[in-house]
Amino acid sequence: MANRHAFTTSVEVSPLAAAGHVKTGAELMAENPYRPWPARITSIMELTATEKLFEFRLIDERIREAFHQQPGQFVELSIFGVGEAPISISSSPSKQGFIELCVRRAGKFTEELHKMQCGDVVGIRGPFGRPFPFEKMKGHDILLVAGGLGIAPLRSLINNIHDERSEFGKVTIIYGSRNPREVMFRDQFEMWRHRHDFDLHLTVDNYEDGWDGEVGLVTKPFEHLEVDADNTFGALCGPPVMYRFVVEEMRKKGIPYDRIYMSFERHMKCGMGKCGHCQVGHQYVCIDGPVFNYWEAKNIQGSM
Amino acid sequence: MLYRIIDAGDVPLLIRAFMDSYELVAPVECDQGHIFDTIDDPNDVVLDYSTTIASPKKYFLPPREILFKFDVAQNDVDAYELDVKPRVLFGVHPCDMNAIEKLDSVFLEGPYPDPYYRARREATLIVGVGCTPSQSCFCHRMDADEAPAGYDLFLQDLGDRFWVSISSVAAAEVLEESTTLREATDEDRAAFAAATRRRNEAFSSDIPFVQDVAMLMDTYHSDPFWAELGSRCLNCTACASVCPTCMCFDIVDELAFDGKTGERVREWDCCTNPQFATVAGGHNFRPSERERVRHRMYHKLNGFKEKHGSMLCVGCGRCVDACKTGINPIEVLKFFDEKTRGAHDAQQGKGATNGE
Repeated sequence: MANRHAFTTSVEVSPLAAAGHVKTGAELMAENPYRPWPARITSIMELTATEKLFEFRLIDERIREAFHQQPGQFVELSIFGVGEAPISISSSPSKQGFIELCVRRAGKFTEELHKMQCGDVVGIRGPFGRPFPFEKMKGHDILLVAGGLGIAPLRSLINNIHDERSEFGKVTIIYGSRNPREVMFRDQFEMWRHRHDFDLHLTVDNYEDGWDGEVGLVTKPFEHLEVDADNTFGALCGPPVMYRFVVEEMRKKGIPYDRIYMSFERHMKCGMGKCGHCQVGHQYVCIDGPVFNYWEAKNIQGSM
Repeated sequence: MLYRIIDAGDVPLLIRAFMDSYELVAPVECDQGHIFDTIDDPNDVVLDYSTTIASPKKYFLPPREILFKFDVAQNDVDAYELDVKPRVLFGVHPCDMNAIEKLDSVFLEGPYPDPYYRARREATLIVGVGCTPSQSCFCHRMDADEAPAGYDLFLQDLGDRFWVSISSVAAAEVLEESTTLREATDEDRAAFAAATRRRNEAFSSDIPFVQDVAMLMDTYHSDPFWAELGSRCLNCTACASVCPTCMCFDIVDELAFDGKTGERVREWDCCTNPQFATVAGGHNFRPSERERVRHRMYHKLNGFKEKHGSMLCVGCGRCVDACKTGINPIEVLKFFDEKTRGAHDAQQGKGATNGE
């Protein structure tokens, strides 16, 4: 006799055109969080010889409306047949409906992405990860330190602060690059400099003709920096070697452990705390981070 | 919970009854030992096995599985459906049942339940069976020697009869239809307790009980021990393949020969795989065996506990047998035991011996 409890279960994945129209974007995304949603490239800006800023728009309106990112989060970007890669979101949440990703050509996947043109379609799922504590940061001074490509995730925070500038006190941005040719978002920084409400320090390790910013490591501007430690949030992102030195400078200025926030880079393959690739100590960078405060980071074995 | 007694001769009837409605997977004998496999003949099922070579996790998390299919020109997924047929995992030891609970906490709980794992898990009944520890077993040191609640039936061999703990309606109905059930007597309860006692006495006395393992993992993180342990690692990832709780995976795209369509596939990966923690541009956050082996042990004995309240090792002993160079959690326990005991004894003026 057949057992009436024995039952077959299934997982269904359907193309966008066939996806049930009664479902909301949030329901569609939750149904299968591994499924990327088609997004069209709407703009490409060349930033340096190796970096481009891509702007994407999710094609399906339901998905677009359900997609709410916060500064510091990332997406999983798909090129079907090539694979998938985690990429930090560079745009402010206020740019609703569009997602900007700043991508360095660094391997097979990003090589393929760099070949793509406006109008081409990729897949996006997300957003994933714990963002910067934007609401908690309001009402305080902000000290942002970016090294190299670390500007990509911090730009989402910078742009968001820019959108709600009156909510924040003094905003200081230190952005270090190896040389003037690698400085990204130059135009944007120039614009902010003229608004006088961002204290901007662009530094390069190596001087080249025509450079009118500072020369030295990203820690150099700290020498003359005045920080109201009790009222400041620090935020940093950059190459792995940078963290220890910048955090030390922030601590010297008196910023408490739990007001220094940093974004970690790891290879988040699933983005959902399962695949293990981004584990560091007891934390999954993809769901517990990528943004951690320094106190949390100090408690993660092998983090810095 | 309901408890009943069945004759040993009824077990094949129970197996056959399950086979009427389910695919039945159970331990069978093979050249090297025992493995979990699909059963055609109830007589092939071996219930008094020590440990299977690989764990039953593959029935929830296959070594390779399709997540979806895609069309390169359309830049979208193709229609794809995964059908999971109802299945019974028959004869699972308490360590493996504990392991499945740990997989559940990662793949079913939290903000992103995994639809593929869930489909397989929901279509599966679990029938546990009591065991006799081998020399490699250390579930009693990992708090995984008792069957957790996550089974449908649990069988304990009492010689000519079996004790049955009945947890689910689905399994209860098959059991009632296929076997003759009776209530447990004092004699049965005494036999059950005796079986538990025999089992507790069978564990190897060489495997130390260590308290505060998580704290020791943190505070001995920079000890040269890890370099020594790592220096033996061959990067073969056999440990993760046989481990019932290792769940790390990779996600890759595989193209058809014409390059027009393909599949996104997830396949087992392992944190001792040298490239596991490498990011774009080539930076590897765990470049050497020392860091990788330490990370694997750290996640099992400390990191997972921090998140989920229990260790991610159930002491099944499979890695003890699989690792060609003797890297396993027992080595870590022994190191902690020697370190803490030695230092304590030295402080007491007894030297590093046990002071006889």
